[in-house]
Amino acid sequence: MNRNLARILAVVAGVLAVTLPALVGAYPLQVARNIMMYMALAITWDMLLRSGQISFGIAGLFGLGAYASILGVLRGGMPSWLSIPFAAIFSGAAAFLIGLAILRLRSTYFSIVTMALGEIFRIVIHNLHDFTGGPEGVVLQGVILGGDAGKLYWLTLAGLAVALGASFWFEKSKFHFALTAIRNNETSAKSSGVNIFNWLLLTFVITSAIQGMLGGIFVQSYGFATPDTVFSADFTLLPLAIALLGGIHSTVGPILGAILLGLAAEWLKLQIPYGHLIVYGIIIIIVILFMPQGLLGLARKTVRAADRRKP
Amino acid sequence: MTKLKTKGLTRRFMGLVAVNNVSFTMDEGEILGIIGPNGAGKTTFINLVSGIIMPSEGKIEYKGRDITYLPAHERARMGIARTYQLIHPLENLSLIENVMVGSIFARGNGLKAARAKSTELCGELGLKDLDRDTSRLTILEIKKMEIARALANEPEVLFLDEVMAGLNADETKDLIATVQKIAKERKLAVGVVEHVMGVIRELTHRVIVLEAGELIAEGPYEEVSKNPRVVEAYLGGAA
Repeated sequence: MNRNLARILAVVAGVLAVTLPALVGAYPLQVARNIMMYMALAITWDMLLRSGQISFGIAGLFGLGAYASILGVLRGGMPSWLSIPFAAIFSGAAAFLIGLAILRLRSTYFSIVTMALGEIFRIVIHNLHDFTGGPEGVVLQGVILGGDAGKLYWLTLAGLAVALGASFWFEKSKFHFALTAIRNNETSAKSSGVNIFNWLLLTFVITSAIQGMLGGIFVQSYGFATPDTVFSADFTLLPLAIALLGGIHSTVGPILGAILLGLAAEWLKLQIPYGHLIVYGIIIIIVILFMPQGLLGLARKTVRAADRRKP
Repeated sequence: MTKLKTKGLTRRFMGLVAVNNVSFTMDEGEILGIIGPNGAGKTTFINLVSGIIMPSEGKIEYKGRDITYLPAHERARMGIARTYQLIHPLENLSLIENVMVGSIFARGNGLKAARAKSTELCGELGLKDLDRDTSRLTILEIKKMEIARALANEPEVLFLDEVMAGLNADETKDLIATVQKIAKERKLAVGVVEHVMGVIRELTHRVIVLEAGELIAEGPYEEVSKNPRVVEAYLGGAA
């Protein structure tokens, strides 16, 4: 019954998401694209978190993919559609090489290094003036899909679908067992034959590739990239806030969190320009203090308590 | 047939020699007790042979193959399994899923096959209601789950690190019978660390005694328990 309800809800949400361009105008579509972009990033962040590794490197791999895509078109003469999978491969390959070096680190050490990564990429691109356009960035001749609002929406939706698909696959496959075992206790995971380093590396590469792909979709949709826009701390902090609010270690949590926080941000932007950032901060603090499992955890707890009250 | 063998196994932590020059063998079908006072190096010894830590010196052989520096997950796949003194049920995984981990990763089974095999294994150990959250299990059930998880590796050598701790007399009896049964059916070589000597007497064919990292005595429990060095190790020099 519960599962059927969830399925019906998912189908309705899916149909609504696909047909949205026929229903609403350009501005709501733009808002929806933003929400979907952050939702997808939040999901990929959570996928790695399921192993216990807290990454602050989302913006780094997103921005790297963004530059790979835009420079692939401008310097490599790639068709714009091809530059998006290219961005995924580029960020994935970078994550593979970086992962070899840093996935021996744990907890705060891993987090700090991933945070530094984004900054390193940003500075390198900043300084490779001739190739990357330096701090002024680079501009495309035209936006992908002719800049059509509906088509751009669908492109972002496709990106989100990839992230969602990967996340559900993680939940239903050996990844679920491997990552949960690693998060709970690495020593006991080893004793059950889990090759911890390989699973972490694979997860880091997959999530980074998706982040890179999203970066590609982002720049192709807006037609330009500067180091400060595509490596913006927003791309790290907002997905984090979204996943924390919605509920970590799940796919549904980030979906919930992104819709709530995304809509709240739009409304707040109109009420208090720039004030929405303060509100984000307050939400993160409240969530961490009072509901560390997020809204999803709160819902689960309520259901469980209700179950117990039944005779 | 000898399954596991160490030669001059030594592990130093800074100045402390936790395991010192220990040579031993474990045979197929044998239940071996590993005893000694607190801090004697029993758990360190198990950590060494299961690959959780690496030795400073010495050699470990499994079925004639040198595994001294092999990583723990590879030893698990080859057939060395263990439980932990401090129990670590995997939260967010149900009872059956906890057991499946060993079957999936140590044996390379798919999820379906792993579930089927783990269900059978849990049945053998008398575990019921397998979709329960681990927070709902009794201590005995958690201990059995830990053993099931180790057995899911389909090991040939199994180490049990104080699995009886925290159980009452009836539960202990139950678990002793369970361990004897699974060891016999599978022709397992079992290494048992226990502080309760009654358990050691009942369960083991042979014991080795560690004191300050050194192997000081070896033989059937009845014999070893009368060895003056062993008595001294347990009761102190004054006895």
